[in-house]
Amino acid sequence: MFDITGKRSLFLIISEVVILISIIALVVFGLTPGIEFSSGSMLTVSFEREVDQSELEQELVNLGYTNVIIQGIGESDFLIRTPELSGEDKVALEDALSARFGSLTEREFHSVSPMVAAETAHNAIIAVAIAAVGILLYITWAFRRMPRPFHYGVCAIIALVHDVVVVLGIFSILGAILNWEINLMFITGVLAVIGYSINNTVVVFDRIRENLKRGISADFEAVVNNSLVGTLSRSLNTSLTTVFVVLALLLFVGASIQNFAIVLLIGIITGTYSSLCVAPILLIVWERGEWGRLIQWLPLPRAKAKGV
Amino acid sequence: MARKNTLVLIIILALFAFAVCSIIYPLFGREEMRLGLDLIGGVHLVYQADFPEGASGEEKAAAMARALITIEKRIDKYGVTEPIIQQVGEDRILVQLPGFTDIDAAKSLVEQTGFLEFREVELNESGQPVYLGDYFQQDELQFIDEQETGDRVFVIDVVNAEGEGEHKTVAFLVKDNGDIKFTDATGNPADNTALQEYADALSWITARGDDGTPLTGDLLADASPSLDQSGVAPIPQVSIEWDSEGSVIFDQIAARLFPQPDNENFFDPERALGIFLDNTLLSAPEVNAQKFEGRGVITGNFTRDEVTELANLLKSGALPMPLKKPPLYQEKVSATLGADFIDMSLKAGIIGLILVMLFMIIYYRLPGVLASLALVFYGALVMAIFKLIPVTLTLAGIGGFVLSIGMAVDANVLIFERMKEEFTTGRTLGAAIEAGFNRAWTAIRDSNVTTFIVCGILYWLGSSIVASAPVMGFAVTLFIGVAVSMFTAIVVTRTLLRLFVGTPLARKTSLFSAHQERE
Repeated sequence: MFDITGKRSLFLIISEVVILISIIALVVFGLTPGIEFSSGSMLTVSFEREVDQSELEQELVNLGYTNVIIQGIGESDFLIRTPELSGEDKVALEDALSARFGSLTEREFHSVSPMVAAETAHNAIIAVAIAAVGILLYITWAFRRMPRPFHYGVCAIIALVHDVVVVLGIFSILGAILNWEINLMFITGVLAVIGYSINNTVVVFDRIRENLKRGISADFEAVVNNSLVGTLSRSLNTSLTTVFVVLALLLFVGASIQNFAIVLLIGIITGTYSSLCVAPILLIVWERGEWGRLIQWLPLPRAKAKGV
Repeated sequence: MARKNTLVLIIILALFAFAVCSIIYPLFGREEMRLGLDLIGGVHLVYQADFPEGASGEEKAAAMARALITIEKRIDKYGVTEPIIQQVGEDRILVQLPGFTDIDAAKSLVEQTGFLEFREVELNESGQPVYLGDYFQQDELQFIDEQETGDRVFVIDVVNAEGEGEHKTVAFLVKDNGDIKFTDATGNPADNTALQEYADALSWITARGDDGTPLTGDLLADASPSLDQSGVAPIPQVSIEWDSEGSVIFDQIAARLFPQPDNENFFDPERALGIFLDNTLLSAPEVNAQKFEGRGVITGNFTRDEVTELANLLKSGALPMPLKKPPLYQEKVSATLGADFIDMSLKAGIIGLILVMLFMIIYYRLPGVLASLALVFYGALVMAIFKLIPVTLTLAGIGGFVLSIGMAVDANVLIFERMKEEFTTGRTLGAAIEAGFNRAWTAIRDSNVTTFIVCGILYWLGSSIVASAPVMGFAVTLFIGVAVSMFTAIVVTRTLLRLFVGTPLARKTSLFSAHQERE
């Protein structure tokens, strides 16, 4: 039988390193909010002939659009993000671009006013907060007959925060490299990840609950390890099938659903990891009062050598 | 037991047949899947109504209701199928036009207030036309025609970039809280010194009937595009017909203007009746008859399309309040892009489904085959539900559905893993199946509840924001997907497995597990 819980210091170090990198990335790069949260206009144009992105950028600067973000999609399609455009501005911009680069078709246009953007950002934050609280309450309720229901709830939430931080961190790196923005689909993806991560954790906790009831061992760590091994192939298999469909979405639908699919992909991987190697292990750490050791496990050179 | 299972299987097959039929054929009046704007292309606009300060809640509600009807009438003429025109919150209007991709035309259609009014030129005491310059010569600003206390609109004729003559509204003179002041079109105070160059702008006052009722578009009975055939080339114009009150007032005004001096070769401001749409002078024909019997024409520098649009606008009436521009939210997706999305997400769904089935079959063998059958049933049932409710499918919604395919097997995986465990601890196959289902149930239930919580929160988030479609679409499809997956795993897979236990195939235990074979 695998000994998962015995290697808890290794798993926690991995998590701590990844989280540290994510937080550093978040601080250094930050996240770029999309127009849904920060207002502005997004125009997708398709030119009839090939257009060089740097020339397009130059032309926009010449037209007075200094604060634009351009993203190439395919050979002659571009996504142009500008501050909020009025109807006349948009017509003038399209006329100027077609005069310079030949005829173009407007494929997509989105424009969000500052008022709506502020509302959306506000409600999205509330939604994420309610999700966290709702799930904490639910977990505490679901495990109310366990010796320490609150422990289960808190450990599940820590695993969840772990996943969200990793998703945000990796996304901030992608954002810095690829100009990706945080849009509503991203938030939807993050909430789906929250649901998914908790879903996995609950399956593991459910097994712990059952095994405790059956009294398979007096040692809590052994019970947890037994439960983890028992649910291991289920967790991996379900994650694999979900990864399959997300990859299919990513490969076939592409750009317009990219943010969403990438968030799900990262979230499923880290969610699977945290439900196996973070949430149950923290239960043991809590049970044994090992919190102090978490600090020693931090990847400082000396402590690291000791931990591994 | 076997009979009961056979019965359940028959019900399942009947349900499957029903689901497939309802996807392929139009049932219950549902011809097609309902697709969101991002999939069929179209325009989505959200406007903020601009009420005057101090408007009461009741006034706002009444004006909003009238505005919705007016916008609906305007859009009706364009043959948009299933447009959505809705009030959002207290003072917002949502307009969705599926399949209509000219966002600029859509905006002008909705945004135009469409306020038609008739004005005449203000005259001074000696009967001479008043110009903006006359107002600048006053020591203290006051209306020259003291009888008329409504707004003055100052209009000058200019030559535009294309070399055509054009009427340009340069300023307004309004009485606000007892003060008389110049304003611009948005009601902000105008720069008086900049106005000096428009000294030649004519002052237009509201044309009123003898009882003081202003002549406006509210009194129109009909408006239709027509052609003025009197010249060499036909000129597009709009024929209008007044209602009974409008006819009387119109004739009263005509009777007042007609006797004014007439210089045949020049424009006589004293005889002109100005036709204004949203404060822009369309044309200023001279009145050359005393009685019109309720009929008239609006001429101007129009194309045929413009007269059709204007007639439509006049017929649908004016918006009770202006809308703030630009809209709070605008979105346009071209139809070709939408078609691409459907193709691509269909491919993604099918490939995802095949991958999941292959994995399940390779890993779990016979139960995997049964789970795959259950998955096909799952897909058909979910699509049938989408079509029958109907759920508006958006790209995100399809994403949610495709994601739920991956998650749908979760319940199966939980059960199969449990079954394998029970099987290896020495139970018979039949007992292992039953124990696997029973044991896995709490995990399936508890774990899916969290997904339901998230779906509920996403649905709330979607309904609370303007750009609601993607978030709500995802929440709804994921919810339906997960709920149906619980049903298929527990009812369909279980029934199929139970039926297989009784067949000779069941003795080949290698069919049930790739990894743990028992003697």
